[in-house]
Amino acid sequence: MADRQDHWVFYFDPNRCIGCHACSISCKQFHGRDSDADDWRTVTHHQNANGQHPSASEYDPDTASPIENVPISMSCMHCHDAPCEEVCPTEAIEKRDSDGIVTIDQDKCIGCKYCGWACPFGAPTYGDNGLMSKCNMCLDQGPGSGAGAESKNEQDDPIQPNCVSDCVGGAIKAGPEKEMIKEASQAAADRFKSNNERVIVEPFQGNESNLNLVEHAASENAGD
Amino acid sequence: MSEHNSALTRRNLLKGAGVAAGAVALGGCLSGDQSNSQQGALSTAFGNCWMCSHNCGQKAYVRDGSVVNLTGVDGHPRGSAGEGTEGTLCPKGLAQLDKTHDPKRIKEPHIRENGTLKKVSWEKAFQYTAERLVSFDENNGAETFLDATSWAETDIFRTVWRDLYGSPERISRGIHVCAGPTFVTGGMMGVGSNNRVPDYQNSEYIIAWGRNILNSFAGQFEAKGVLEAIENNGATLVTIDPQHTITAQKSDEWMPIKPRTDGALALSMANVIIEEGLYDEAFVENHTHGFDAYREAAMDMPPEKAAEITGLDAEQIRTVARGFAEAAPQAGISVWTGTAQAGNGWKATQNITALNGLVGNIDKPGGLRLWKYPSTASFGEVCEQDYTNRAEFKDPALKKYDEYSDYPARHIEGIAHNLVPEMVENEHINGIVCHHDDPLKDGNAESWIEAIEAMDLVISIDAYWNGVSRRADIVLPEATQLEKDTLGTGNWNAYPNHKWVTGSKAAVEPRWNTKPDFDILKGIANEMAEKTDNDDWTVFQQWDSHEAYIDDQLSTLDLTLEDIDSGEKNYALVEEYDYQQYGENFTFRFDLDQIDSFAAAAEEAGMDTAPEWIPPGTYGDSTSEEYPLEFTDIRSVFFSHGSNQPHERLQDQFAKRNQLSEEDYRGNYLYLNPEDADARDIETGDMVTIESETGSGELMAIVTERARPGLVTSQYGFGQTSAITTGEDTREQSADGMNTMMLHNEQMDPITGQVDRHIAVDVAPAGGD
Repeated sequence: MADRQDHWVFYFDPNRCIGCHACSISCKQFHGRDSDADDWRTVTHHQNANGQHPSASEYDPDTASPIENVPISMSCMHCHDAPCEEVCPTEAIEKRDSDGIVTIDQDKCIGCKYCGWACPFGAPTYGDNGLMSKCNMCLDQGPGSGAGAESKNEQDDPIQPNCVSDCVGGAIKAGPEKEMIKEASQAAADRFKSNNERVIVEPFQGNESNLNLVEHAASENAGD
Repeated sequence: MSEHNSALTRRNLLKGAGVAAGAVALGGCLSGDQSNSQQGALSTAFGNCWMCSHNCGQKAYVRDGSVVNLTGVDGHPRGSAGEGTEGTLCPKGLAQLDKTHDPKRIKEPHIRENGTLKKVSWEKAFQYTAERLVSFDENNGAETFLDATSWAETDIFRTVWRDLYGSPERISRGIHVCAGPTFVTGGMMGVGSNNRVPDYQNSEYIIAWGRNILNSFAGQFEAKGVLEAIENNGATLVTIDPQHTITAQKSDEWMPIKPRTDGALALSMANVIIEEGLYDEAFVENHTHGFDAYREAAMDMPPEKAAEITGLDAEQIRTVARGFAEAAPQAGISVWTGTAQAGNGWKATQNITALNGLVGNIDKPGGLRLWKYPSTASFGEVCEQDYTNRAEFKDPALKKYDEYSDYPARHIEGIAHNLVPEMVENEHINGIVCHHDDPLKDGNAESWIEAIEAMDLVISIDAYWNGVSRRADIVLPEATQLEKDTLGTGNWNAYPNHKWVTGSKAAVEPRWNTKPDFDILKGIANEMAEKTDNDDWTVFQQWDSHEAYIDDQLSTLDLTLEDIDSGEKNYALVEEYDYQQYGENFTFRFDLDQIDSFAAAAEEAGMDTAPEWIPPGTYGDSTSEEYPLEFTDIRSVFFSHGSNQPHERLQDQFAKRNQLSEEDYRGNYLYLNPEDADARDIETGDMVTIESETGSGELMAIVTERARPGLVTSQYGFGQTSAITTGEDTREQSADGMNTMMLHNEQMDPITGQVDRHIAVDVAPAGGD
């Protein structure tokens, strides 16, 4: 078994995300997914509810928060404890020892959707064939591809996931955990350790009262 | 705190399988069911993105003649942050893949017979085009034919329509409908039309003035440069924008200014800088003209007065003025359309540009950069054949006829977009060739639609059925950018010390029966040679291909397209140049009294030649009891000028971005403040009617605190006259959303004729969901 440090993880810096959705579009294009199919790489926009436009007549600078609107780009986090893998009755889902990427073998998938219920992030999605599909860190192209593909760590020049290659702001990175941790701030590394080591997320440098926008988005309660 | 999180949720699992079948539109090459063994070899090619015409480098992955993936070119001057950094593509740039293989494209040449557009061969199309051009010249005069080919990926359009056919009438995107005051004041003040792009990476203080640089950029290097400056230099970012944008979100200071009051803010900043002695006295002394007049105007605008006009805080004005001046010369102002598309846009831009002269940041690292182009060979230089320039000495109608003597713009410009319908009525314009652009989205739409319908000859060279191609007499289906050889020649970029070129050979063959624009023009020219006995029209026969012509253009740089295109990248840095290259005699003009054309226009417009404050409404719309809201349109990072609104991936992500993807609606949205929405009983997701004195339309509302009370905005490029989304069989259909220029009358900047996109409106529920 490869060292956990060699498992690939995503890194995300909300301070560099410009909310442009190039990641989602490039993912869809690379994998030939219809526009209205569920996104494997999803950008959500999080705003505070109490912020008021500063020029509004009732604006009170002492009580109103400034407006915040933070984009967050997330995909399957390729969890080390991959709850989707644990519940799969046909062992179609594999948390790969070699590079940590969670893949689905659609030949074994029976479309029971247990994995979808088990995943706290809604990462597994289902196509017209009823079978599970999800981000495979671009091991190969198309839903259900990548199972059995050569380890990213053994490829001479492993391709970056398309969302990484096309991120205009340079907010998304991917690579073995030991390399990604080097790129991260101490705060992001600490959070990674304490947040079940799923995805490395830089602290949001916006208004302090809204820091938890990002904390929340990267937590298991995202989407609640 | 509430969460607006519409996508990454458990709830998605419960959605029905309402997913259209199959991975269509990509030549079948991306379908997940196909194994690699069934597919041909993967090869790579390059492209230069033309979605917004700013040439971000593309690396195209091609299999079996189809583009199967598209990404950026590392280190590309426009598409990366510079040397050693990754190149990417923005969402609309990525959509070039979908555009190339889009089955909704125009696939065959068409000509109108008995009122109906019919498919014909290219041979027939060229013959018919030449016949119509000859008879148009006989009946109307070639000088009444309008060249509206502003999106051309080859520069020979000008040769064809101006030099050979003989029309002096040309309307271009830049000055007429984009940011005329920005471009023209920059030129007159002495810093050129590139006064809009500072040297981001080296800056310590960046003001995004009326710009959403992080989501509306002229090349991704702008967004990347701003992020680099913040991260590497600890640069301060200031956004001056009535609405809260992603750029405001990332800013240290957001100045939620009242629309159209930028000129007052700029003068007030000058007031602080002069009063506090923070300006560059040596530069002002040695290199400027008209400082006394400028100082006088600035002294009339203390921050407290500007605060009343702009709705800003006087202390914030002081803070930003000091911050900018103290960081200078490593302080840059980024300005483009936001302050230019207004009736008082001329003075706003003049006052803003003047700040650069005041702090002496001109052509200094991190300040305003005097960008330079490489000198590729001009058409005249590479052309081995003499020809008669038939437009020479022909005055455009705006300058020639008394009917337009009330328009000061005639001193500066040969045409104004909004005046074309009037010129058609006067029979001074009788025909148009339009290329890859939709002038029906650029101002007074209703009058333009009538004008297009009234014209004797309409030629559309385009990839999509849109408001012009649907009404054309001749439709010539254009190859898209990845199917063409391209050449881009530099200026502003991520390498502030280098001139550069970028080029690419066609990544794939033209799909269906389409042709690159170079070949279309050559086809028309050759047929004109046949029809007219005029050998001038044979001028393009000296080049077998567009690549051969590009190679001639590159000869001055000792490069070929093959040289640029064949390595690991598709650009070349060709010549280094330093900062502060202007000579001792360089003069920056605060006062434009020495520019005769402007002085004449200004006098007629009742305007001073020096900086001054001109309130909104002086030249454009004012709100009223009947139309109490101010509308202006905005850009989206997903779309460019109506040319890629038909792409579903962009539409769907745009809807997701606006958290309304569950609705069927895929048009533009009207953003309004809760204060204005509550008064009208409007909620997010409601369809609303927006109405001006001129016209009205329907679109979907989004109620948000990010919108300024009293100001409503929407993305332009949608709705009526759009490129349609359902293919040629239903070409009469309109796309979702609203062409916001249906609200527009003729308001414009009186000096350049630039369309003024601020309109007095009211909004009401439309009565549906």
